[in-house]
Amino acid sequence: MFGLAKYLSLVKDYVKLNWRIHMQYRGAFIAQAAAMFLNNGAWLAYWTLFFTTFPVIRGWTVSDVITLWAITTAGFGLAHTFCGNAHVLATIISRGKLDAWLLYPRALLPHLVLGRMSATAIGDAIFGYFIYIVLIRPDWPHFLLFTELTLSVAILFLGFSIGAGSLAFFLGNAEILYEQMFFSMVTFSTYPFALFDGWVRVVLYTVIPAAFVSHFPVEALRHLSLADAGFALLGSIAVLFVGVSVFYVGLKRYESGNLIELRA
Amino acid sequence: MISTNRRNPFGKYFKIAATAARSNCAYLSEVVSRSIFLGVVLYIFLRLWQVTFSESGHDRLGGLTLSEMIWYLTMSEAIVLSDSRMSQQVDEDVRGGTLSVKLIRPIAYPLYTLSSFLGERIVRFLLNLIVGGAVAFIFVGPLSINWMTPLLVIPAVFLAFVLDGLFQLIIGLAAFWLEDTSGIFLIYSRLRMLLGGMLIPVQLLPQWLVPTVNALPFTSVIYAPAYLFVTGGCEDFAGLFLRQLVWIAVAAVSVRFVYDRALKIVAVNGG
Repeated sequence: MFGLAKYLSLVKDYVKLNWRIHMQYRGAFIAQAAAMFLNNGAWLAYWTLFFTTFPVIRGWTVSDVITLWAITTAGFGLAHTFCGNAHVLATIISRGKLDAWLLYPRALLPHLVLGRMSATAIGDAIFGYFIYIVLIRPDWPHFLLFTELTLSVAILFLGFSIGAGSLAFFLGNAEILYEQMFFSMVTFSTYPFALFDGWVRVVLYTVIPAAFVSHFPVEALRHLSLADAGFALLGSIAVLFVGVSVFYVGLKRYESGNLIELRA
Repeated sequence: MISTNRRNPFGKYFKIAATAARSNCAYLSEVVSRSIFLGVVLYIFLRLWQVTFSESGHDRLGGLTLSEMIWYLTMSEAIVLSDSRMSQQVDEDVRGGTLSVKLIRPIAYPLYTLSSFLGERIVRFLLNLIVGGAVAFIFVGPLSINWMTPLLVIPAVFLAFVLDGLFQLIIGLAAFWLEDTSGIFLIYSRLRMLLGGMLIPVQLLPQWLVPTVNALPFTSVIYAPAYLFVTGGCEDFAGLFLRQLVWIAVAAVSVRFVYDRALKIVAVNGG
């Protein structure tokens, strides 16, 4: 319990520190966050145009797709706002930048992922909550469930980024592979799950676990189903567990580089 | 060494494009590995349109069969994913000061940048088309093409790249007045995606939007070559080419205008 309190205090300090860093470059920070907002808005416009021509696709309506985008962007945004280094883990490992983090008297992985805050991820998080509140106009039970589901999706993205990024321990330069896995995950997560059948669904429950973003959370909000919300959370915790395991197994293979790096 | 042949002033720019293309070929495996994403995207599009065709009960949507729709999307994705973000390069040249070095060369900076962009982009595009074409072939079989198809599509794709390059040049040159042009590029790329027909052919957009979309230049970058590719020469092919040429003329004049003003405020420091 004491350990958790100490860790939460570390989270608080890192958030404060990273926020101050961003505020030093306020213009660039606002521009990046706004750019991501705009990017997501363009995709939402595409879906709105699509559903104007074809109103229902396998039971999915434009409201379901807006909900899906809200959950995905908010979850992804929360994960990488607080744990921005998870997204660049493959680069950190393959370029020998892990050495600096190994010197701290802290548990390595939680400390490492906290070390950076992504400005674009903040834009994602705000976008997700904004469109859910403005376009879906939820009642309180739906909004509370939505909040829980965004945390669940954040855990999933964090676990996925850690697991996929940790492949760099085994493959060396895994940056391109990580990029491909990451884009595949995001792309599958932002299309209606009902489009996919057969073996692809197996992939979406395992290797690219987008089902825990695009299936269970949307079903949970459609029917206000705690069971579906529970499945989503269980899946996310499983993905985080696998990701963390891959990281620590891989860490045993890590060989220090000769890169000299200072962290102030 | 770039020769300066006065009888063929474009010879040197052709050589610049060829050099950029060769340079890109050196990283072929990296470019191919990036094409995995193209396969994923095309699979998702296949499923989306299979379901859409099946639920609509029509054999054709917007005049295209399912097979033609997937080949259309293959072409549109190959065009968009081949973009090497020239605006970012120009932005860096301006803000980093590299522009001052490039200005003293006996070549026009806008044409140099555009040639290099075209060389790089053509290689990327061909690779995307090969990978995307293989995926589309597996999913929906071959596309029936006629002898007109390559005659129309090759110039249409080239003109699309020129037009896209000119727009990106204008965006990059805006770095003379703006702190960061990446936001403008993002807006441009999203408009290109939405209104250019990258994800959905123009004729399937809501009817109230079609006249506006047709009046904008974005369809000349994506829709025109992709639609010509799957239809093998539609009735309005002359109109599509004419629109491309008109927009290229407008963009070229705009580049000239912006570049001339930019040169007046170039500040070179140091040595």
